[in-house]
Amino acid sequence: MSDRIFSFSIYCISLIVVAAFVWIISDVVLKGYSLVSWDFIVSEPEDAGRGGGIAPILVSTLWVLLIALVIALPLGIATAIWLAEFSRSNTGAVHIGTALDVLAGVPSIVYGLFGNAFFCIYLGLGYSILSGGLTLACMILPVFIRTCESGIRAVNSDWRLGGIALGMRRSVVVWKILLPAAKPAIIAGLVLSIGRATAETAALIFTSGYVDRMPESMFDSARVLAVHIYDLTMNVTGGDQAAYGSALILIVLIIVLNALAQSLLDSWFRRSEYS
Amino acid sequence: MRVSFRNLLSQASRKFLTKSLTLTVSIGLSVFSNISIAGERLTLTGSSTVAPLALEMAKRYEKNHPDVRINVQTGGSSRGINDARVGLSDIGMVSRGLKDSEKDLTPHVIALDGIGIIVHSSNTVTQLTRDQIVDIYTGNIKNWRQVGGDDVEITVVNKAEGRSTLELFLHFFKLKNSQIKPQVVIGDNQQGIKTVSGNPGAIGYVSIGTAEFEHNRGTAIKLLPMDGEQASVVGVASGDYPLSRPLNLVTKGELNGVTADFIKFVQSDAVSDLIENQFFVAP
Repeated sequence: MSDRIFSFSIYCISLIVVAAFVWIISDVVLKGYSLVSWDFIVSEPEDAGRGGGIAPILVSTLWVLLIALVIALPLGIATAIWLAEFSRSNTGAVHIGTALDVLAGVPSIVYGLFGNAFFCIYLGLGYSILSGGLTLACMILPVFIRTCESGIRAVNSDWRLGGIALGMRRSVVVWKILLPAAKPAIIAGLVLSIGRATAETAALIFTSGYVDRMPESMFDSARVLAVHIYDLTMNVTGGDQAAYGSALILIVLIIVLNALAQSLLDSWFRRSEYS
Repeated sequence: MRVSFRNLLSQASRKFLTKSLTLTVSIGLSVFSNISIAGERLTLTGSSTVAPLALEMAKRYEKNHPDVRINVQTGGSSRGINDARVGLSDIGMVSRGLKDSEKDLTPHVIALDGIGIIVHSSNTVTQLTRDQIVDIYTGNIKNWRQVGGDDVEITVVNKAEGRSTLELFLHFFKLKNSQIKPQVVIGDNQQGIKTVSGNPGAIGYVSIGTAEFEHNRGTAIKLLPMDGEQASVVGVASGDYPLSRPLNLVTKGELNGVTADFIKFVQSDAVSDLIENQFFVAP
């Protein structure tokens, strides 16, 4: 009997969680669907975002994200490898690990203020795609490193010893055995990072900025989708409709990017395993 | 040494490295090749209320002057003052008149905006005196019954520190922010409207143009008159409505070049339709 109550409550709880998710998605889809068209995606915003489309904003979002990932991915994987394999858990590594955990919990507005002070003003990059991308890279690094690190640590030690017993170099063990084995964790870290970065508002409004023109270079200020949605709902009178349209695009974009990232990593690992 | 390095980079990882290198280099190239495109640049920072209007004005100006780029950034009026003062921006956006301590900057009025007291549309109260509003905001009146309404607790919605709507409100009612006992603190106008329309006991204050627009499209709010004057865009334009503010662009020092030209442009008739579209009043 108590078993039944237990499983019943588990079902109920998961139903509530799924219902909340479905409610949010269907709210956005129902209210945004009518607005989304090819025109909406390829035209420039007009009338403070209430009319027109989101072309420059979509392009800016992708640029900021690309910069963030190009910087965070190699740095993150390298740091994770060092922490898991080469640091021998000395005090330095332990401190770095603690620092990463603290940084992972820091609210994104703090990264925004740091990015504004450091990249925009101190380094003189100004409000720009570059400042925004670098700030995002700082923001996603802690979570990404920690996820990858735990993935690498979780690889069975027999595999490491086996590789070394066969006379493989440590570096080859890392490339050929550990990283491919840690693939699910790396993909999970990447998906988390992409989601967090694409949906970021606070860290970007003061770094990549508010300008909704089509960016001409990395030093141009550019508005990303999340900032656009925030401005339309909170600041622009009558902007709700366009905000729902943009939110729908944002959701679709995150899904597409995640699928893309997974297949890219997949194909890379497949080659590194058998070549 | 060289041999071991080569082994380290097995074929696949080398390919990956090459690819990411090419990517980095091509991004780098696109960065540097594009620097020269830009002609004159203007940066505007400040009030989030003025920002959408300034952005639209800037777009129209850019259309007439293809070599000029005008970047609009938000962050609040205090930021607009500060950035213009220290030279981080060419022009600051400030949604209030300048204070005595800010007379080192020159204001240029581009539009007017009134601040209206809003309550939920189900509220039976039709007007409040200045004293009643002060008592509500300082926590002396806690229930709508005490001002002739239904037996509903009052939810006081106040603006966040640094917002010029707050400063204007405090100045008009001769209050200090520390005297106000708010239940909710909000940032932008739309957020104020969403808070009040979702709470039958709430009272707040927002831009009149925004409130009028939202009321007309059926949002559950209503504007209360001030000193017997109807809160409306028309009242702000005629000057009859007492609680209003100028929307300013502020500059430091002598005006010249593009800055002067842009300010002349935004004060001309060429942008009056844009002001109306943003629910403000042309000066």
